Amino acid sequence: MDFSVWVVMSGLLVIGLTAGVLMHRSDFCMAGAFRDVFLFNSYKHIRPLVLLLTLSALMFELCRLAGVLPTYPFSWFAPPSGVNIFGGMVFGLGMVLAGGCVVGVLYKMGGGNLMALFAFLGLLVGSALYAEIHTWWIPLAKQTNFSTEAITLPQWLRVSSTVPVLLLVSLGGFLCWRWQQTELWVNRNTAEGFIPLWFTGIGLAVLGVLTVLLCGVPMGVSTSYAKGAALLELWIIPDHLANLPYFMATPVHYALPIDGVLRSGGAGPNFDIVAIVQAPLILGIVGGAWLSAHLLGEFRVIWKVPLNQVIMVFSGGVIMALGARISPGCNVWHLWGGLPLLTIQSVLFVIGLVPGAWLGGIVLQRILISDVPLKRINS
Amino acid sequence: MKVLKMDIRGQICPSSLLLVLREMNLHHQELVRGNLSIEVLTDNRDATGTIPDAVRNMGIEAFVEKMDGYYRITTKQQSD
Repeated sequence: MDFSVWVVMSGLLVIGLTAGVLMHRSDFCMAGAFRDVFLFNSYKHIRPLVLLLTLSALMFELCRLAGVLPTYPFSWFAPPSGVNIFGGMVFGLGMVLAGGCVVGVLYKMGGGNLMALFAFLGLLVGSALYAEIHTWWIPLAKQTNFSTEAITLPQWLRVSSTVPVLLLVSLGGFLCWRWQQTELWVNRNTAEGFIPLWFTGIGLAVLGVLTVLLCGVPMGVSTSYAKGAALLELWIIPDHLANLPYFMATPVHYALPIDGVLRSGGAGPNFDIVAIVQAPLILGIVGGAWLSAHLLGEFRVIWKVPLNQVIMVFSGGVIMALGARISPGCNVWHLWGGLPLLTIQSVLFVIGLVPGAWLGGIVLQRILISDVPLKRINS
Repeated sequence: MKVLKMDIRGQICPSSLLLVLREMNLHHQELVRGNLSIEVLTDNRDATGTIPDAVRNMGIEAFVEKMDGYYRITTKQQSD
């Protein structure tokens, strides 16, 4: 393996470890952020997400103006399509039922949560299912393509990105300032070693920018679930795997900023450019959460869990993986990477994600408990 | 005083809060009169903030204790 690849993967592993510790300590749950707005009228987890988005938008734009952003817009984003909304909706439903998004599942699993492991398995199965419908789905998806080659909103509006980004940063900054004035950032969590959500929001924004500077693309992990599914199929049903175009294709061609060497990759069971930029993050997040839980003495696997919840989180993982492949991309990819650049795909993904999370909240409540007259938390 | 014990360790988030809210609503009068206390065992770190918040909004105090790898949240009527 090239030395430059070692450098990139080591750096991403450290970023992943740090993110894992932060997310575990703060219980930084993005599924909960959207779910709790509808379920409890609680904005507690949405606020740090707004802070993260605002800071990311500001830092990415400053990097772009300074000429240190490897690519603009980020590679692997494409012009918008109607499936971005539909995929976001499916993803939102799945992540709420799974009890965590694609990274939430990782840090919860690292912290010893057995339910997250079932959601993780669901993500693998969902990715394998998508591979079965890929050839049927792609022609259908192409019919929903919008008639524009623009990738970001500023490109579509034919304006410099600075003004729209400044508007976004001003709005986000104003909201964060208002929450500070009304003491809504005050930490009321009494868990040992708790890190305030605002701190983790800032930390993850910084880690997101470091990820881009290191490997040229924002944080993303969902294609690696497909690679995991492909590895399992290679072991169990190799002949079937060889006949699946989704796993055999290498549609990604990309050069790391550090060495400029063009590498290819895809969802197949190979060590390629996708594995280089995603696998260290996954290992890091799981490892960081595991380390954090061990240091706190909180790593305990509870084996006796309700069967209806096991079925629900597994199904949620399957649905979430299908949403990630349909959209394409996961919530981390779109919210931490695409939305700060006002990427149209990401805007559409979030437009779909919101009603998906709302629907997920309804289904979740019906499954977990059907007779709760909920009272509002007002936090 | 009766104590309603709930072991929600290992369950999906937000089971802890949903189940506590259900019991709070079902037994609200007893909790307010101080005849009943709810004791929740949870390994959900977020619940150490959300459950006390929800309980206090109903005029009842809540205490959080770190146990061996999990948390115990106990409600108590404020006038006690």
